[in-house]
Amino acid sequence: MPSPHRRTTWAAALLLVTTGLAACGSGGESGGDGPIKVGISLPLTGDFSEPGKGVQQGYEAWAKIVNDAGGLLGRQVELTILDDQSSADRVVADYEQLIGSDQVDLVVGPFSTRLVVPSARVASEYGMLFVEPAGAAAEVFTQGFKNLFYAAPAVANDHYNHLAEYILGLPADQRPKTAAYAAMDDPFAQGTAYGLKARLEAGGVKTVVNEVYPPNTTDFGSIAAKIAASKADVVVGGSQYQDGVNLIVALQQLSYQPKLAAFSTAPTNPEFAAAIGNKTEGILAPTGYSQDAPYPSNKEFVEKYTAQFGKAPEEDQANAYTTGQVVAAAVKAVGCAEQGDCQQKLIDWVHANKVDTVVGTLSWDDTGKPQGAHMIQQWVGGDIKIVLPADVKEAAIVYPKPAW
Amino acid sequence: MSLVLQSVVLGLLLGGLYALLAAGLTLYFGIMRVVMIAHSAFLILAAYLAWWWHERTGLDPLLSLVVTVPLFFLAGVAVQRLLLARLRAVTLTMMSVLVTFAVALIIEGLLGYAFTGTQRRIQLGYGSASFEVLGARVAVVKLIAFGLAVVSLGALYLLMKRTSFGWALRATIQHRDAARLVGIDTERTAGYGFGLGLATAAVGGTALSLDSTIYPSLHWHWIGPLMAIIVVGGLGSVPGAAAAALLLGLAQSLLQIPLGTTWAQTVFYVALFATLAVRPQGFFGGRLAQRF
Repeated sequence: MPSPHRRTTWAAALLLVTTGLAACGSGGESGGDGPIKVGISLPLTGDFSEPGKGVQQGYEAWAKIVNDAGGLLGRQVELTILDDQSSADRVVADYEQLIGSDQVDLVVGPFSTRLVVPSARVASEYGMLFVEPAGAAAEVFTQGFKNLFYAAPAVANDHYNHLAEYILGLPADQRPKTAAYAAMDDPFAQGTAYGLKARLEAGGVKTVVNEVYPPNTTDFGSIAAKIAASKADVVVGGSQYQDGVNLIVALQQLSYQPKLAAFSTAPTNPEFAAAIGNKTEGILAPTGYSQDAPYPSNKEFVEKYTAQFGKAPEEDQANAYTTGQVVAAAVKAVGCAEQGDCQQKLIDWVHANKVDTVVGTLSWDDTGKPQGAHMIQQWVGGDIKIVLPADVKEAAIVYPKPAW
Repeated sequence: MSLVLQSVVLGLLLGGLYALLAAGLTLYFGIMRVVMIAHSAFLILAAYLAWWWHERTGLDPLLSLVVTVPLFFLAGVAVQRLLLARLRAVTLTMMSVLVTFAVALIIEGLLGYAFTGTQRRIQLGYGSASFEVLGARVAVVKLIAFGLAVVSLGALYLLMKRTSFGWALRATIQHRDAARLVGIDTERTAGYGFGLGLATAAVGGTALSLDSTIYPSLHWHWIGPLMAIIVVGGLGSVPGAAAAALLLGLAQSLLQIPLGTTWAQTVFYVALFATLAVRPQGFFGGRLAQRF
């Protein structure tokens, strides 16, 4: 039982701390010469913890590279990162806190469409610029956000555009006749598969299986059984990571051998080959980022990122870094970084301009949707290489795919 | 036709795994009337240990059982003696949910701390191997998991029916006061019974690790279906849980064909509601006092 005296001391201490914090807050805001505070909420635990940590590293790399080069507008960049536990409720509370009580100067987006939409709404209410690394599904751009920009080459539905073009361009006797689709009940994962589905159906490739599974699915045997029984020429997985891996293994256990297999996200993960026992032959995946892509800032990014983290960056890291690049370009061009009128100037600038990034030159339409398509990579001889489009390819596409 | 047969095979193999995973959960309830939310967290912990063992030693993950089974037995005794036995009898069932919920969170947090959130999968030479039986493919890893379930549930059954410890444990489950009157140290027996339950989690987690991708928060996806299984099977009845697990596994796999994955998963909860509405004591267990 604490004595009344001790209680007073605690209260005084608490008061000191809070007033101290408040002083810091107001000082940073009005001065404009303190660090630029960038607020981020990320899924560091829960279902999206894996990509969430990747995005975190990307942001940290961006802050370090910017700071090592003298900062933004001569001010150091300081990241405030909160953990939203992969929950849409938490992400809203986090951004409220970052903007309202932490008084950050800029905010950037979290990971996954499910978290991007609610957090973009908060940013929109405060009139903040909201560049985000992961909200690629169609619904992100139908909410009427004026302040949102997706910092990647293409939205989910356009990921497979190069592949659809290739398949439908094959001579009629080689072209696949049937296709099976399995997609996670997640706007991004589903969007990738359905973008390809719409194009292949329009081109005359018949859909024989169309499965949707919830994100908590643990058993993929039954879905695989349906796909294997259909003997579809093409299998397309609208997957994140573990579901893609589990589905591929389940298909292999049933000795199903399609002519073409395409899965989103999972095959580009560095753990992928080991996870499925190196039976990767011929698997295709769209990718928004490649370490080998020849854009000038990408070389610097790969080099410095590798020096900082001891390994090369992946797509999640690159998307976060791209987000940082877009924000930095806007801040430099407009010459300010704080809440208030400055934010609208930043938003207007991004709408009106193109930005050179590690994933190429990006530009956006009115809804914040980027105007491009993804590269297609394929596992060839134990290595993943860019095969489409033709002008950036590292290897020729292998079709029909060898047995896995 | 071949799809139906394939689904039956997959459903039975899945049901066997469910039976093994649910066995411990129903045992705890029988012994102490507690709801052990952390059971699935211990399953994932065992799966991680199997994965880690395989990474470090290169030996087959099944060999990790030599270490994890005794370890989990001791952990079970410790959880019972140090946490659950200290709860007040009146609010035991309710409070056990809170306490074991906390244990589950701690395990999840420690797994994330020790192994990061990266999703892991054991790389086995026979990971995607399979053979054909009557036109259906049987995956080797799924068959091994099923075999583990049969062996450990069989061993559990013999232990309960044929050994004096088993008799003491069943007496404790049936009527604690009467058991104490005939000279059974029910406290110690309950502790060992808990250890036994957690030992099945070690086996179950290892079986699970053979054919799934694991990550620290995976246990939340498992606890719901497992709870449904033990209620349908009759709380406290291991054979009841096994029967319910096979039936629900099969139903899930077959319903997948017309309904798709999302609706097929709801079979657990439909069965749970139906059981609570029609036959709250469960469909397979008989009266609680006579169970196992």
